[in-house]
Amino acid sequence: MRLHAVEHGHRLPQRLKLMLIRLVSRRRVPDVVKTLFYRPEFFGGPMCDWTQAVMRGPSPWSVGERELFAAFTSRLNQCLF
Amino acid sequence: MDGRTGRYAAFTKRLLDSVLAPSGHTSRELRRAVLARARPSSPLSGTESGTGGEDIAPDLAAYVDKVALHAYKVTDEDLAALKRAGNSDDVLFEATVSAALGAALGRLERGLSALRGEASPPDPLSKVGPHPLTPSPSGRGGTQE
Repeated sequence: MRLHAVEHGHRLPQRLKLMLIRLVSRRRVPDVVKTLFYRPEFFGGPMCDWTQAVMRGPSPWSVGERELFAAFTSRLNQCLF
Repeated sequence: MDGRTGRYAAFTKRLLDSVLAPSGHTSRELRRAVLARARPSSPLSGTESGTGGEDIAPDLAAYVDKVALHAYKVTDEDLAALKRAGNSDDVLFEATVSAALGAALGRLERGLSALRGEASPPDPLSKVGPHPLTPSPSGRGGTQE
């Protein structure tokens, strides 16, 4: 993570959630999660709501198909996930 | 269906409002200008685009373009230089989010207008040559062999 604040500057509720994720997954928390948890009212909260609706909400496309679109798009952006 | 009237219009509006409306470490005008710069004008773009607004410092403008066009090319040194120039982490966070959101909305709008068979403005990526991973017309993947 290139921005120190986004790596370490989370407020207490988000910091506790990040600790919990780390404990349960026993892995380093992905940077995208840290970004979404940083000042969530500015970006992460509405972004997660949007993503949830697009990726899991009612749609003619199945969840698997939508995940495939996302993976393909990320690959074109040279951003693997 | 588009970003303004489709199924997800309310989500898109809330996301835009949360990034553009609040007071932050950057001015609303700067966030608006960054978002407009990263979001190429499209027939669907509304008032958020091309507001003219605040000038973006040249070093920040170059960073915004990088985030919008090829974010994978951003380096540690890019951020270090912007910090040395006096930009705080929160300023850079807000600028990055605004640039990414503008680029994403621009692509979404171009994609949706292509689905409707409308003419789209040229893809800004075409200025920098074909994407190395762009699938070829024959349908094969574009990875270099």
